[in-house]
Amino acid sequence: MEEFEASASSKKTKTIYISNVISISLVLLMVGLLGLILVHAKNLSNYVKENIVLNIIVNDGAKEVDIIALQKQIDANPSVLKTQYVSKELAARNLTKDLGEDFVEFLGYNPLLSSIDVYMKAEYANNASIESFSRQLQRNPLVKEVTYQKSLIDMVNQNIRIIGLIILVFATILTVIAIALINNTIRLAIYSQRFLIKSMQFVGATKSFIRRPFLTSGVLHGLIGGLIAIILLLVTLYFAQQQVPEMVILRNWTEFIIVFVAVIIIGILISGLSTYFAVRKYLRLKIYDLYR
Amino acid sequence: MIGNSVIKLQNIDVYQQKHLVLANVNLQIDKGEFVFLIGQTGSGKSSLLKIIYGELHIVNGEGNAAGYDLKKLLEKDVPFLRRKLGIVFQDFQLLTDRTVEQNLEFVMKATGWKDKTLIAERTRDVLEKVGLRSKIKKMPHELSGGEQQRVVIARALINDPEIILADEPTGNLDPDTSEEIVMLLRQISQSGTAVLMATHDYHIIRTFPSRIIKCEGGAVHEDAKI
Repeated sequence: MEEFEASASSKKTKTIYISNVISISLVLLMVGLLGLILVHAKNLSNYVKENIVLNIIVNDGAKEVDIIALQKQIDANPSVLKTQYVSKELAARNLTKDLGEDFVEFLGYNPLLSSIDVYMKAEYANNASIESFSRQLQRNPLVKEVTYQKSLIDMVNQNIRIIGLIILVFATILTVIAIALINNTIRLAIYSQRFLIKSMQFVGATKSFIRRPFLTSGVLHGLIGGLIAIILLLVTLYFAQQQVPEMVILRNWTEFIIVFVAVIIIGILISGLSTYFAVRKYLRLKIYDLYR
Repeated sequence: MIGNSVIKLQNIDVYQQKHLVLANVNLQIDKGEFVFLIGQTGSGKSSLLKIIYGELHIVNGEGNAAGYDLKKLLEKDVPFLRRKLGIVFQDFQLLTDRTVEQNLEFVMKATGWKDKTLIAERTRDVLEKVGLRSKIKKMPHELSGGEQQRVVIARALINDPEIILADEPTGNLDPDTSEEIVMLLRQISQSGTAVLMATHDYHIIRTFPSRIIKCEGGAVHEDAKI
């Protein structure tokens, strides 16, 4: 009977530890998924923003050498990601391809003008920056006109703001849930050890000595939970990319690694701090409170 | 320690939370004394023990246990006071996932022992004292109830305490084993460590005539009769 009780108690402790690690890893998986969604959303927003084109139409008759000099000047601007020179011939070829018939032959001349396509860096892809940049360009005698889709830029920025806000609210709620869940699991695990804590106090162990093994296992559980969550995240990423191959353009391993490191740090912090506070509670409790 | 006394309480009021449990307690226990603490459930026996091992604070009066001024006892000093006391409780038993040796080693490490040779030596010594030298590698579940209680007593002896506080140490044991445990505690007291044993077992008290302190009616009565 006693043997059964001892092995049952040891099994119980192991079960508590395993369920603790599983709970931590599942909660961290949710946090990590949200992190990856955030990274993908940010990269998607950057991708969209960096594909907004500003057409700088150059005056007819401008020399190609001057246009290329202008292009270099624009390239040097810190808000510009890249530029592309589209000569009037190239523009005509492109339009012919789009229309499916040779309009130059039909008209007898090429009415199109040379232009420079400018792609802005994501952080400058907003109307205020583009307007100021456009005003600056229009002062150049080579530039006939600067065109861009003002309403599209507004719409993209507004949608990104709304999506960002929704993700932020979700992230906050999820973080609170994560902390509450992990904290609760750990408190229950420590509760089952309350008599051990008191026994240690009775034999004259100092608080720091009692706390140490609990904190070590708390940190270790956070670390193992984090590592399991990372494995699950990598599996999720792999299958998501199998299903949506276009996701590859949003892949940024540096940011993914930041998310993974954050998952481990969050796991260790929440698990370690929850353990610290739960043990502190039982260290402070009087014997009669242990039975409540 | 004041003179020969290990415990000295003077005009102490014992409060359990806000309730006065025992008033004007005066008690002195000398080195090597064996004392029974009796009284009905709720009479204040455990609260009196709590005052001695620093779980409850002294509000009124003066107290000294194993050289520690209980009135001025700081939270950080409590573990060091407890190393001078051996505590044997019914509810606070051995760690079930470790051998007898590991249980004793655990307590030694918890109380500042570092030298492995000294730890092994002390483990053998205390197990010798309680007659369990041969059970050093056993797990608690491989021991009888009486043997487990002996290991708990060995654990309490590790830091060479000045007094053992035993709260119902025979509560879960059969009469013969109970007698063996009390005999062991008596031997320990004869070697110089005082023993204060709270019990309800009148058979034991009759079998081992000793000084009796009784908690009754909110007061502590010296040299009580049963």
